Amino acid sequence: MTSDDKAIGRVTRCSTRGFVGAVRLPEPEWPVFGTFCRAEAQQGHSQVIGLIYDLSIEDDELARQLAATESLSPEQLADSQVNRQVPVEYRALAVGYRHGERFVQSLPPQPPLTLAPIHRLSDADVRKFTAQLDFLKLVIAVQEIPVDDLLAAALQTAAAARPESERRAYLVEAAAECARLVGRDLTRLESLVRSLRP
Amino acid sequence: MTNKSEMDTYFGERKGETPLGMVVGGSLSSGLLVKLDSRLSIERLAVGRYVVIQGKSGRKFFGLVTDIALDATNPDLVRQPPAPDDAFAAEVYSRQVAYGMLSVSPMLMLDPEDDQPRPNKTVPAHFAPVHEASAEDVERVFGAEDEKHLFLGTPLDMEAVHVNLDLDRFVERSSGVFGKSGTGKSFLTRILLAGIIRAGRASALIFDMHNDYGWAVKEEGGHEVKGLRQLFPGGQVSVVTLDEDTSRSRGSKVDRVLKIGTQQIEPEDVEMLSGLLGLSDVQTGALPFLRRRLGPGWIDRLLSDTPDDELEKMVEDERIVSSTLGAIQRKFEFFRRMGFLVPGAGDDAVDDIFRRLNQGSSVVLEFGRYGNTLAAYILVANYLTRRVHERYVRKMNEAVGKKADEPRPLVIVIEEAHKFLDPAVAGHTVFGNIARELRKYNVTLLIVDQRPSGIDDEVMSQIGTRVTCLLDNEADIRAVFSGVSGAGALREVLARLDTRQQALILGHAVPMPVVVRTRDYDEAFYQWLGATDDAGERKQRAKRGSEALFGE
Ligand SMILES: Nc1ncnc2c1ncn2[C@@H]1O[C@H](COP(=O)(O)OP(=O)(O)OP(=O)(O)O)[C@@H](O)[C@H]1O
Ligand SMILES: [Mg+2]
Repeated sequence: MTSDDKAIGRVTRCSTRGFVGAVRLPEPEWPVFGTFCRAEAQQGHSQVIGLIYDLSIEDDELARQLAATESLSPEQLADSQVNRQVPVEYRALAVGYRHGERFVQSLPPQPPLTLAPIHRLSDADVRKFTAQLDFLKLVIAVQEIPVDDLLAAALQTAAAARPESERRAYLVEAAAECARLVGRDLTRLESLVRSLRP
Repeated sequence: MTNKSEMDTYFGERKGETPLGMVVGGSLSSGLLVKLDSRLSIERLAVGRYVVIQGKSGRKFFGLVTDIALDATNPDLVRQPPAPDDAFAAEVYSRQVAYGMLSVSPMLMLDPEDDQPRPNKTVPAHFAPVHEASAEDVERVFGAEDEKHLFLGTPLDMEAVHVNLDLDRFVERSSGVFGKSGTGKSFLTRILLAGIIRAGRASALIFDMHNDYGWAVKEEGGHEVKGLRQLFPGGQVSVVTLDEDTSRSRGSKVDRVLKIGTQQIEPEDVEMLSGLLGLSDVQTGALPFLRRRLGPGWIDRLLSDTPDDELEKMVEDERIVSSTLGAIQRKFEFFRRMGFLVPGAGDDAVDDIFRRLNQGSSVVLEFGRYGNTLAAYILVANYLTRRVHERYVRKMNEAVGKKADEPRPLVIVIEEAHKFLDPAVAGHTVFGNIARELRKYNVTLLIVDQRPSGIDDEVMSQIGTRVTCLLDNEADIRAVFSGVSGAGALREVLARLDTRQQALILGHAVPMPVVVRTRDYDEAFYQWLGATDDAGERKQRAKRGSEALFGE
């Protein structure tokens, strides 16, 4: 993962349920689906932990012009796709907050501040945050987003933040928690478990 | 036992030990449901094991695992299991969706202020943690081995723990040893009897059909084990035989040969044989009349080849139909084949046996070759029991409450008990009476049987202590549990016993049902009984052997 310090955008819209961040970044630096991130709230007293679940690219003048160009050379295409700073917008689900050194896995008391910088959670923090699995039920409770894919991505991220030797045990535990939460729907559980396989 | 630490030592300190699971449901009558901790392997458990449940109020419960099941939070799991080769999914599912369930029969409970566990009257609260009972726990429940407690076996997987039977309670009411053929009934009965004789709690009168109790018993493997007469050489056991030749040829010490005078046989003694001898109701009904008219020598006269005027007159006067009389005479031919029946008045054998019993000597009645004739067994068992019982009743009545004058408690041991106690005859035989009258006259039964379903229900319900080896017939299993509350759960336990040397003990003489591996009937057991070190005897035997070999 890239370094912790570099912000991946700023908050543009928010509620206690989550926030929207926007940034201009070249493609390789876009945040990915299932990334844990944090944004300041309560005048810096707390940080909302978000789980990124939706990325969208705004269309811009240049893109429209390029798209209309009859013949786009491969060089032009590559340059535009890889190097160009593209306006990216993403949504993050609030899955907890950090108060001092403590992570809490419930909805934050207040949303982040607008324009608060958004950072990726460091591997160490991902490990710390995901040591508890209570955030899974916050994710599962959400409607109208691809919850299961998000769970799988988030948990695989959390597993990847751990040493190789601990990954399998972690995924078993996490999958078991999923089983507790969605065990009533075996078809759903089956595909969720499959996507969590180490 | 009021302070806490003592109580903890009673049913073991549990801190830091992972419970097997927790109580999630159930009832006192149908047993508790315990959800197994997913970290434990269900395969490690077994029915018949004990658990201790930590109640919320400080009360502890002692229970028996009676069934083990696989369950799932989602009933659809049976139709939609994870893929067979998906180890990850299997592991995940077995953490949450799929789990093991134990059925636990609550047996005893212990309050913090109690010093002895009591029978269970309630159930632990929801989610009470359930632990496997430790050896110490089980040991506490079954008490220490002492003068009146016989170590009968060890609970499964607890070789160090002794299950001790309360002998006083065992002989206080009739009891039974059941199990299909070859499961160890006779071995077990011998251990029980040795325990009773050693403790001097009662005398036993053993109707030894297959020469299993007196002397040198052949084991299935072929080698010989000792009989009671050998284990108690000091006069506590007498061998009385019906078949002197067989007993002698087996090298058995014989204290008395039993001969029964034909004049001593009464119609009631024959009645029980009517089925076996093929006597019709009319024929059986005619016996008392014949006895009355012909006098004590009635059997001799019926069997006699010389013409009998009185018999002829009875037919002439139409007091009896000639064909009935003929049939009776023909069927009585059976008595001729019974070598222990001698014409005439017979001797005082019954008095002698009664005296032996009352003086504290148990009597093994060896049937020798007559053991193969069921009618002979029933005739003699019935004959002796009726008379001995009569004497007990008389002596008991004479004692009128003076304990010292009461006859010594007697246990009558019968094999193939269903032949004596089947519903058709149990109502009016001495055995049925003994079972029903409980210990009124200090006489109880120890019935040994492989077909308990053949025994009259009412008699069965009077059986205080039941020691049951493996049974696989449904009806037999039902019979063994008749009148036992919460029996349903124990059936599984019974049906899972090993085919040999394992038994479920329940009832009067144990604080709670228990499955044991019966202790070995071997040299160590002989020694425990205090049977003299048999180095001397071994030398003797070696000498005899060499004599036989070399004809010295
Ligand atoms: N406690 C024991 N110690 C040693 N051996 C035993 C013990 N119990 C059973 N056995 C073995 O099992 C065999 C069968 O036992 P036993 O003769 O008592 O069976 P049973 O139930 O009386 O059979 P049946 O109904 O045919 O009389 C014995 O020969 C012996 O080898
Ligand atoms: Mg036998």
